[in-house]
Amino acid sequence: MDVKDIFAILTKAIVEGDSEQLVGLVKQAIDKVDPLEMVEKGMAPGMTEIGSKFGEGQVYLPELLMAAEAWEEAMKIIKPRLIETGASMKKQGTVVIGTVQTDIHEIGKNILANLLTTAGFDVHDIGCDAPATKFLNKAEEVQADIIAASAIMSTTVPYQKDIIDLLESKGLRDKYVVMVGGGVVSQDWADKIGADGYGELASDGVQVAKKLISQKKGA
Amino acid sequence: MISFLEVLQRATTGPMMSAKEYDMKVFIPAVREVVKKYKIEFDPKDPCPHDDDLADRIYQAGVELYSKVGTYCTDTERIIHFTVEEIEQAVDECPKVVYFGEGPDRIEWHGRMPDDNKLPHCHVGSGTNTTEDVALKMVEAYGRITKAKTTSIPSLTTVGTLSGSLGSPMEVLAGINMMRIAREGLRRAGRPGMAIIDLHPSCASGIGTIASSNPEFGARKSDGWIVAPHAELKINYDSLNQVAYLTSWGANIGQEAGPIMGGYAGGPEGTAVVTLAYAFHGILVVRATYHLTYPIQMLNVCSTTPEMIYVISTSSQAFARNIRAPYYALGYASAGPATKQYFYEAAAYLLAIQSSGIGIEDVHPNKAVGTNQALPIDSEFTCAFGHGNVGITRKEANSIIKKLMEKYMPNIKSAPKGRDLYQCYDLETMKPDDELLKLYDEVIKELNGYGINFK
Ligand code: B12
Repeated sequence: MDVKDIFAILTKAIVEGDSEQLVGLVKQAIDKVDPLEMVEKGMAPGMTEIGSKFGEGQVYLPELLMAAEAWEEAMKIIKPRLIETGASMKKQGTVVIGTVQTDIHEIGKNILANLLTTAGFDVHDIGCDAPATKFLNKAEEVQADIIAASAIMSTTVPYQKDIIDLLESKGLRDKYVVMVGGGVVSQDWADKIGADGYGELASDGVQVAKKLISQKKGA
Repeated sequence: MISFLEVLQRATTGPMMSAKEYDMKVFIPAVREVVKKYKIEFDPKDPCPHDDDLADRIYQAGVELYSKVGTYCTDTERIIHFTVEEIEQAVDECPKVVYFGEGPDRIEWHGRMPDDNKLPHCHVGSGTNTTEDVALKMVEAYGRITKAKTTSIPSLTTVGTLSGSLGSPMEVLAGINMMRIAREGLRRAGRPGMAIIDLHPSCASGIGTIASSNPEFGARKSDGWIVAPHAELKINYDSLNQVAYLTSWGANIGQEAGPIMGGYAGGPEGTAVVTLAYAFHGILVVRATYHLTYPIQMLNVCSTTPEMIYVISTSSQAFARNIRAPYYALGYASAGPATKQYFYEAAAYLLAIQSSGIGIEDVHPNKAVGTNQALPIDSEFTCAFGHGNVGITRKEANSIIKKLMEKYMPNIKSAPKGRDLYQCYDLETMKPDDELLKLYDEVIKELNGYGINFK
């Protein structure tokens, strides 16, 4: 099989969320093809494709989750090789994402988490009902660039401010880019609490994250 | 029916797994399987089908699905399972009528059938974010609508000058505050016994619900108390604590669910089955005596698209034909309040649910995310619609819905934002301004032209 064909099948397996096929092929190809190229030219385009199909409503969350799972399974084999060869993947950045304390509306957060993953971010999802300290602890642990907080109700948006207050009180405000969103959240609210970014939809969130990360890295 | 204690037992003894494993290995495959097995297919040409066989297949698929996936308890990380026989027995034995309210304001609510000649239950109000200065007037306005049989009450985040958030003592105080305001509003409307159902949007936790249920604050067990799931078909101990309390008190319990099309349930077909399956979760786990559903679309976050009208129509028909308990649905319009598009979207949704055999409620403007945006005129519209279209069939509804969609679907993503209560009401008299009255008259005439009546 030609390398191009291998990449094409890898892409297809990701889009179809077919872990078995993907892992099988990765195992076969790992000694012949550069692992970094497998990720960047084979699997990543699949993630981009499934992400945009999802954005257009052509596929749904289960398909996206399956693609993400296939990705993770394949990475279990590829990652050790990457470490061996000293190659590093181009990561957009590291994100800690969650729904704020007492709020269990998690779907919007899940969508953003998945879209960020498909856009090449390293995403750490801390789930819903997450207190400010959980955001910060995880961010410190994984050396995150971005903290993304979702809050869907007028009764829970104040917890987004808590995250910023916590960062400020620890003198860590400048270390992280803070993004907020969710049903009742608006640009006005984001400005009021001093968040760095806001997105009305998850797809806006991805654009904002990309912009903020390049500003951060440029700075 | 299996007892609540047995349910709690199963929550501590059922098969254990992580929530992710439940979603990926249990829930998603089971939904896909039943959709295929029962040949459920969405046809955009028929957003509100009149196919009894399809409705019954969705019912069968829902029973099979629920017998496979049960309800996942996030605190014990276990599945609470039920057999097909246990589900069927629960459906047979669950209450088919619910009593709400007190004295002359007491009402009975029975299930209906698709294409039914009976008046649907008309529920009004909204649990959306409202500022404290207008909350009393809002509830009073809802209560004044005599065709409305039960009401929702606003969601507050303040007590006077203090504001707070869920889970803090402010939730308890805001909940109690709203309870008092709501009862007073209904008293001022001359309907002190009217039931407040969908309690309690200012609270989400067990403690908030329990605190605001003290009769001292105006709460009653003849009100309706809803218990929320996690998406999809999951529950936590906090919600089960609410059930433990509410069943002991003997209160009316409502099952609420907001299944998400495009989420774990997949497309419209899977979402229709999951929406129906929540009824079994409601009867068995939440011990519901009535059911509220609000399926919503993930990308547009509204429920008036062809897919969503299909989901609500078919799942409601499946419920009405086979369970026949009190059931109603809440729609989310993309358009903001006081716009023509809001009324087109609302009419389409109401046509679907009324003809499919369930109770009706105000469609919420602007996806329910705005503040002070649920206008009393929306409630009048809902009730006049319910009374004006008794006996409307699914077939008639379907053809009108399609015409309405031609009007609003092109603008669904860029819907007009509209005006809030402050901008279009006289807050002294709680009457709409001339601009809104004119728009309303025009819209009603236009809808009359489509064969929709208002009484
Ligand atoms: C589904 C739903 C539920 C489900 C949630 C299931 C789950 N586990 O996720 C259940 C049934 C559990 C539920 C429960 C409750 N709910 Co609810 N629920 C909804 C509903 C209908 C949809 C929410 C949703 O998932 N939308 C779909 C997603 C995709 O949209 P989204 O979250 O806004 O996310 C999008 C964007 O905002 C953005 N985004 C989201 N997060 C982020 C983060 C960042 C950083 C960025 C950039 C972008 C971004 O991306 C997403 C996609 O584009 C809304 C109404 C609405 N229109 O939102 C009410 C709503 C939010 N709920 C409400 C209420 C009151 C409750 C309850 C308190 C009811 C009760 N008394 O029991 C409980 C609270 C439970 C709790 N502790 O959180 C109210 C809130 C009112 C208010 N005060 O603001 C609403 C508005 C309903 C209403 N009144 O009509 N609910």
